[in-house]
Amino acid sequence: MASLAQASTALSTSCKPTLQALSSRVSSLKSVSFSITGKRFPSLSSRPGRLQVSCSAKPETLNKVCDIVKKQLALPDTTAVTAGSKFTELGADSLDTVEIVMGLEEEFGISVEEDSAQTIATVQDAADLIEKLVEKKA
Amino acid sequence: MNIHGLQRNFCSAPTTLLPVQLPTRMESHLWYVLPDAVKSETLLKRYVDQTNDRVDPRSLNFKKNGYGKPEVEWQIADDWQPPALQFNISHTSSLIACGVTVDSPIGIDVEEKQRKLKHHILAFARRYFSSHEVEHLTSISDIEIQRQQFIKLWTLKEAYVKALGRGFSASPFKTFTIQLKAAAKRGIYLSRDVESEISEISVDSLGSENLTNNWQFLLLELAGSHYAAICMQKHNTLGGKGNVPIKLTARRTIPLVEDECVLGTSAVVPISGLTF
Repeated sequence: MASLAQASTALSTSCKPTLQALSSRVSSLKSVSFSITGKRFPSLSSRPGRLQVSCSAKPETLNKVCDIVKKQLALPDTTAVTAGSKFTELGADSLDTVEIVMGLEEEFGISVEEDSAQTIATVQDAADLIEKLVEKKA
Repeated sequence: MNIHGLQRNFCSAPTTLLPVQLPTRMESHLWYVLPDAVKSETLLKRYVDQTNDRVDPRSLNFKKNGYGKPEVEWQIADDWQPPALQFNISHTSSLIACGVTVDSPIGIDVEEKQRKLKHHILAFARRYFSSHEVEHLTSISDIEIQRQQFIKLWTLKEAYVKALGRGFSASPFKTFTIQLKAAAKRGIYLSRDVESEISEISVDSLGSENLTNNWQFLLLELAGSHYAAICMQKHNTLGGKGNVPIKLTARRTIPLVEDECVLGTSAVVPISGLTF
C-alpha cells in the first residue's frame, strides 16, 4: 500500500510539468492524445518523464484515407482497415500504392512529392502527411 | 536481344535437382515461381559457385543497400573473391520472379497482363509519366491496346528504377522516358498485334544526371499471364557502339523441388524483338 501511494504521488508530480511543457509547444494542434505506457504504476515512478504523446490526424481524415484504400484495393467491407494498417499487408503493390497516393491527392487537393510518398507505409502515415500538406496550403 | 533456348528437360524425380551455373556477364537468369508463399531468396541458394565450392547456398545472407534494395551479403575471406552476384525480385499475387546476373545491377518487374487501373490511364500517365510517354499512350486509339502498353511501360519504368537501386524518390518516374521504337520504319501501328512491332527499348534521362547510357531492357510475356521487364547494364565489349544482346535463360521453378527450363515454350514470349 505504501509503495502504491508513493508511486501515485510520483505520477502526479511528474505528469503536470511534462503536460504543461507540451501544451505550450503544441498549441496549434487541435487535439493531443496521450497514452501511458507500462501497466504498473511502480514502473512509472522510476521513469517519471516517459509519457508517450501521439498527435493524431483528425478522425475524418483517417476515415477518408481508409475509404480510398479500401476502394483501391477492392477490399470487402468486412476487412478491418485501421490507422495502423500497412498498405503492403492489405495487399497493395507498388502500382496500388501510387494509385492510392493519386486518389489522396485528388480527394484532398494536395500534391505529394515522391520522397514523401516513399515514407507512407500505413494509413496513419498517409493521414498525417495529408494534414501537414493541407495545413501548408492554408 | 538474342534469346537462346536450352533444350534440357529435367526429369521429374523431386530430389535430383542439378546444380546451376552462374550467369556469365552478358547473361540474365530469370526464375519464376507459381504460385506464391515461397520466399524468393531460396532461389539464389540454388546456385553453386562452379569455380569454388566454398559457398554453401544455405549460408547465403542478405542485407539491404542504403536505399533499401536487397543484396547478397558475402562472408569476407582473405583468399576468396566472391562472385559479383546480383539479383532483383518482383511479384504479383500469382507469380514471383527473380532475375540474377553477375556483375551488372539488375531490376525486374512483373505485372499481370489483365491489370486494370482504378484511374483513367491518361490521367495517371499525365500525373506520373513523362510527356513523351503520355504522347505515346494518347496516340493509341484502341483502349485495350492502350492499357496493355501502359502496363508494359509501367513494368519497364519500375525495372529501371529498381536496377538503379536508389528508390522511387531518387528517380521519379517523370524524370526519365522509356522509348519503345517500332520495328516498322514508318513508326505507325498498322495492326492490332503491337507486340511484333517493338524492336528496341531504350531510356532517356530528362534530368541533369546522365544515368541512362548504359542500360538495356528485355520485355516479355511470362507464363501467359504476366508482362515481365528486365533492366540490366550493357556490356560494352564491342567498344561502345554495338548493343551486345542479353542472353536470357528462363526457368519456372518450385524451389528445391523442380525446375523447368521454359525458353522456346509458350511460357516465355519475347516482346522486345529478336535480333539475329
